[in-house]
Formats: sequence, C-alpha cells, structure tokens
Amino acid sequence: MARGSSVLRRSAAAALGGLALLAAAPPAHANPPDTFGFGSRETAMGGAVAAETRGFAANYYNPAALARSRGLEIGIGYFRAEHALAMNGRDNGVDAVKGMNAGFVAPGTFLGIPFAFGVAVHLPDDRISRVRALRQEQPRWELYDNRNQRLFLAANLAIEPTPWLWIGGGLSFMSSTRGRLDISGSANVFRPDDSKLRHEVDADLTAVRYPQAGVRVALGERVALAAVYRGEFQLALDLTAHLFGDISGLTTALYDLHTRSINNFLPQQAVLGGSWAVTDRLKTTLDATWINWSAYVAPVAKLDAVLEIPPPPSGWPSTVTPPTTPAPTRVESLKMYDRIVPRVGLEWHALGEKSAKGFLRAGYELAKSPIAAQSGLTNYVDRDRHSLSLGVGGAFQDLLPELPGTLTIDGHVQVSRLSTETTRKASAADYVGDYTAGGSILNVGITAGFAFDKRRDDATAKAVTR
Amino acid sequence: MKALGRLAGLALVAACATTGAEGEGDRNLPTAGVGPFRKLEPEEVKGVAPFVLDDARALYREPAVLRDGESTLLYAVARVDEADVIVRTRALDERTFFGTSGHFGHKPVTVLEPDAPWEGALSGPTLVRFRGEILLFYAGAEGIGLARSTDGLTFRKEPGPVLTRDPLPGSWETTAPRAPSVFALPDGRLRMLFAAGRAIGEAESADGVAWTRVGGEPVLVPAPPPAPGSLLPNEKPPFDTAAVGDPCVVTRTTPAGRFHVRVLYTGTDTSGATAVGFAARYGESGPLARQTVPVYSVGQKEAAPALLDLGDSSFLYVQQDRRDGDTSFVAVAAAFAPGNVKLPPSGDYPDSP
Repeated sequence: MARGSSVLRRSAAAALGGLALLAAAPPAHANPPDTFGFGSRETAMGGAVAAETRGFAANYYNPAALARSRGLEIGIGYFRAEHALAMNGRDNGVDAVKGMNAGFVAPGTFLGIPFAFGVAVHLPDDRISRVRALRQEQPRWELYDNRNQRLFLAANLAIEPTPWLWIGGGLSFMSSTRGRLDISGSANVFRPDDSKLRHEVDADLTAVRYPQAGVRVALGERVALAAVYRGEFQLALDLTAHLFGDISGLTTALYDLHTRSINNFLPQQAVLGGSWAVTDRLKTTLDATWINWSAYVAPVAKLDAVLEIPPPPSGWPSTVTPPTTPAPTRVESLKMYDRIVPRVGLEWHALGEKSAKGFLRAGYELAKSPIAAQSGLTNYVDRDRHSLSLGVGGAFQDLLPELPGTLTIDGHVQVSRLSTETTRKASAADYVGDYTAGGSILNVGITAGFAFDKRRDDATAKAVTR
Repeated sequence: MKALGRLAGLALVAACATTGAEGEGDRNLPTAGVGPFRKLEPEEVKGVAPFVLDDARALYREPAVLRDGESTLLYAVARVDEADVIVRTRALDERTFFGTSGHFGHKPVTVLEPDAPWEGALSGPTLVRFRGEILLFYAGAEGIGLARSTDGLTFRKEPGPVLTRDPLPGSWETTAPRAPSVFALPDGRLRMLFAAGRAIGEAESADGVAWTRVGGEPVLVPAPPPAPGSLLPNEKPPFDTAAVGDPCVVTRTTPAGRFHVRVLYTGTDTSGATAVGFAARYGESGPLARQTVPVYSVGQKEAAPALLDLGDSSFLYVQQDRRDGDTSFVAVAAAFAPGNVKLPPSGDYPDSP
C-alpha cells in the first residue's frame, strides 16, 4: 500500500509535469502518418493499434506504449503511397507520398519506475515540406494533394507506474513560414537589360509544436485498452512583398502585397482502442478515432495589396492601360464535419516458435469524407475512403551470439478505394461545373527493427500486455 | 549509441538529398470549358499577339467559328469596298488564319454581301450544322437573316429576315434583333439567342426559318448595380451593368448528365467599357445565371465572343482594339483556356480560305 501511494504520487507528479509540458505548447500539423500509417506492422493492421503498438511506432500511435520496451529499440523503414485519383475519369497527377520512417526507443528506470524516451521521424525523400496556396475555385484533392508532403517529427516520454498502466506524452514539431520579399530600384521598360533592381529575401521557418498524450491499461493477460489524444496544428504561411522603383523615368511604381493563409491544418484527434489476444497466436484490435474536422481552416490566402502608379506628367499614352489594385479575395467558408474513423486489425502468429517466427496481418479502415458537398464556388475534393491492408512479418531472435536481441522485418500493402461520386454545381455559371471524382491509393512499405531486449520475444509472440 | 549515430547520419544524408520535383496534382482538372481565358502569347501566333486576323483596312470583327474536320473555319464581318460583308478564312491550328495581315498577298474570301433592302450592313454571323446544311444566321438593319450552304463557301439567302423586331407594344425589345447565336436542342429543335436593346432574348424554330419567341422576357439582362457598401476595398462593380449582348451559345452534357447551355456575351458597364462574360443554365429553357467574373477582360474594347470548344481546351475569338502607336483599329484576337497550358508554336498558313 505504501509503495502504491508512493508510486501514485510519483505518477501524479509525472503527469503534472507532462501537463505542464503540454500546456506550454502553442496550438500547432498535418502529417503523413494520419493517412498512410507509421511502421509496416501497424499499417498492415489498419492502424488499429492504439492498444497494441510498441517500439518506435508508438511515438505516433500511442506514446504511452513506449514504456513497453525493456531494451533499446531502433527501427527504420520506407514506404511509398501512389495516388491514382481522377476527376471526370482523368488522372490528376497527385504526387506520391514516399519517404523514410525511423525512430528509436530508449528505456530505463527512474526512482524505480520504468520509463522510456522515444523519437520518431518521417522524412520525405522529395521535400521536407511543401507550401502551396491555390485559388479556392481550383479543384484539388484537399486531403491528399499537399497535406502529406511534409516531415513529421515527434519526441515522447512514457512511464509505467504500475505493471498494468502506461502513461506517455510528448510533442510533435513542424515549422511555419514567414517571408518577406523586397524589390527596389529602377526598371527600364524599353531596355530591360538596363534595369537595376535590388532583391532582398527574408524567410523565417518558425518551429511550432503540438501535443500528444496517451494511456494504456492492461486488463489481465489478454486484453488492453488505450486512449490517445493528438493536438491541433496550424501551419501558417505569411508572406509580404514590397516593390518600389522608377519606371524608365516616366513614373514610379509601388506594390505592397501581404498574404496570410493556413497552409496546413491538422485537427485534434482522440482515439479509443482495444486489443484482445483471442488465442496465443491470434490478436484482434479495434480503434475509433474522433477527428475534429469541423475546426478545419481552409488553405486559402487572404490577400491585401496596394498598387500605386501615378500617371506621368504628360498623362498616360493612349496605348497604355494602367493597372489597378487587385481586389481582395472573398474567402468562402469550408464546411466540414467531425468524423469517427473506425479501424480493425488482426495479427496471426502463423509460423515458428522461438528463434524465428512468422506473422500474417490484416486491417481495415473506413474514413468517411469530412468535407461537405462542394456545390458552390469552392472545390475541395474528397471522397469516402475504404482501406484494406495486408502484411507479413518475421521476428528473428539472437541471430548472432554477440548481438543478443530480436530482429524484426515487416512489410505491408494497403489499398485504399475512394468511391467515385458526382459533384453537382448549384450554379450553371460555375467555371468548373459538374464533375465526377474518385480513385485509389496503393501504399507499400517495409520496416526493419532491432530490439536489444531478450524479453521482447515472449511479449511480441504472445500477449497484448508485456 | 553507435547505431543511433548511424541512424542520425543516414537521416541527415537523406535530408540533404531531398531535391523535390515540382509538385503536381493539378493535371486534367475539370472545367466547364469557358475559361477564364488568357490571351495568346507572341510565340503562339504568327503576327502580333494576340491577333489572329487583322487588317487596318478590312477591320475584321464579330467572329464566328465552325469546326470542319481538322480545320477551324472563321467567319467575320469585314469592310470591303465600303460595305460591311461576311468573309471566311481557315486555320489548321486554330490560330494561323489564311489571309491575315502577315499572310502577304492573301485575303479571306467574301461569302455574303448585303444586297437586300432590309439588310443594310451585315453583322453578327453565326453558324450551325442542320440537316446536312450549314446555316449562316446574320443580322441586318431590320432583323436577322438566314443563308444556307453545303460547303460553307457558297451561300443562298432566304428572301427576307427570319426574325424581326417584336411588334407587341411594351416589349423589352427596344431595337431590331441582332447578334444571333443558334444551337440545337437534344430533340433537334433549334434555339436562337439574340440581342435586342440592352438584353438577350430567345426564340425557337423547327426548321430554322420560322421562329417564335420563347417567353415574354429576356433570358439575360444587365446586372443590377451593387448595393451601397457591399463592395470590398478595390473590388470592382459588375462589368455588365449597362448592357449585355453578342451571345455565343455552346451546349454540352455535363458529367452529371445535365444539358448545359453555356453562353459567352459582351458585357458593358456604365462607363462604356466592355468585357466578355459567361452565363449559363441547366436545361432547355429558363433564364441564364451569370458568372460575376468576366472570362476575358483586357480593356481593349473586347466584344463579340466566339467559342471553339475542343473538349480539353477551348479557344475564344473576340474583336478588340489593336493598338499601333497612337492609332488603333479593330481586329480579331484569340485567347485560350486552360490558362496554365502552353500551346506549341504556331503552324503554317493553310493553302486556301
């Protein structure tokens, strides 16, 4: 009892510390793991792993599960998600999302309490991050075109205050963009090569953070429950441009441009999950994720511009039409609905017993589109997504005497089907008009990991608890 | 720890190697096929961009287009021997028309001249294929006339106008009808949009000769002026508050299966400035809904649009001022949509008009 109260006190202190850490984080992320999973084992199980994840993947799915590790674990993998998304039956060329997933878990004990520190990263191999501001009328696959083209980085801390409870939390990081472009000098419209213009670019990538936290409870040897929270993230794009100069001695031009937009938005999410070891060789998992899509901020730039070009002393020539200041954008609101995304997973220990084991996995996810019917001016295209995933895995223990531990190699294939449906426009004078949209996504990947943990074998092969 | 160091090193190397390709996701986007249009660039036309048919003396204007296999036939009003006639020219790339000013020694061929008392000057040609013939509707002083052809070169006129000013007292038609545009309904009947006064009306015919008006009201009228205080700073009022005219109709069936009547027209504001607008409706009948943003606006008296819909892309032909020093004259210019697509260099002139 005395030990119990002491543990609870320490747990409470740790939790308060975690809360303080989270409170210090400003609202901050849209990341590829939301859409394509993180780690091949977890993706193969449909992402229904809040109560089942472990190793570096726990940094995304449930930070609390980091503390399930008893030895240093490292993992690295690669995936490629290829889109075949089409409107009116023609492919829109949505870029593939591809890159490396990696991370580690470093466990230990502090004041007798097991803890673990974990870091995970998704590193795209095309770009660290992409900023894109489109006109709100332009059709785009809102949840697939740009949101997943970015780096994901998370760091978490977890503790195991009792043998049946795991608590964890941490931060994910992203950068917002502020930039300024100044151009000044003189422009010679008759001899452009004689123009003397000075450019000054000042871009600032400011780190923003968003919190995540999770808890995992083991109910006996075969059942575990979990709850996870991921915070909201807004990736801002703030650009200003200042142009001032002399135009061929005729007149001057001043152009001030300021655009502000939320280039990427990740709604807050809450996950409830469960895991049940039906037999010693078969596990089934179930997750339900609530996503606060109704708070979504559309990535449309709000533009303020000032253009001043006074007429020359002799007035404008008849062949010249002076430009006028562009009008600000009337931004149409984007209606989105909160959604609950169900996920189910299966893992079957199909082969082997001790030193080498083989696993077969399967999963399913239904992500109902949160975007309201696009019958008006805007064209944020999305469709209900059904994802079916399959995977295989192998665990090999103590392959070399000088390297005790477990090597895991997992692979996954996930096929997502976006149902083809027709968008009907309310106004016949819409520039885009009616269109059909739908398609599929193929996500393939492989992950390798190594756990310097002799006890991992029993845990991995058998139970949902340790 | 060595393993961690190697992992970090690998991540760093991978990060340094991230040379992202230019993003896509905007290929084959859906469009109603009516712009917005961008004017053709200098490397996309043979003469002075964006003009595809110009001559300081012929004053080509009020274009109409008709697809003929791989050729684009362009009909326009021209000034020939002090008379306003209708001429025809042809291009193989939708841009390089026979007989434009850079095609030395060649001229478009005249296909229709005014010779009836009711006609006066000819204007506003439009063409439609109907029962194996090419019907050319045009405007004269007292109304709208019709000429028939099988080859698009030799036309035979109906003896009198097929549509004259509405004789009903109190009609919205304050002038004789002009600027016709004719299209076929799915069941084969013909419909005509025409301009009269400051608005656009509609008529129907089974044979192209006998026309009856559809409804007693115009299908498109000038936009109402904006309510006080409703405009944002620097936001312009509607471009068509004074008059609408020069309708050009192109129909299609949308991916949702709806019959879509698309109309480009000339909008005029209270200062007299013009721009090309877009209005449309779903279904055979009813008023047109307007798009508030013009599809083509360059501040050069652009008017009288003609649309060539090629499915994935479209060309817009308009009359607009071609400025040459301190002088200007009207000519036929071309624009293209989608605006982010670059056209290949212009082709050769065809051998004949």
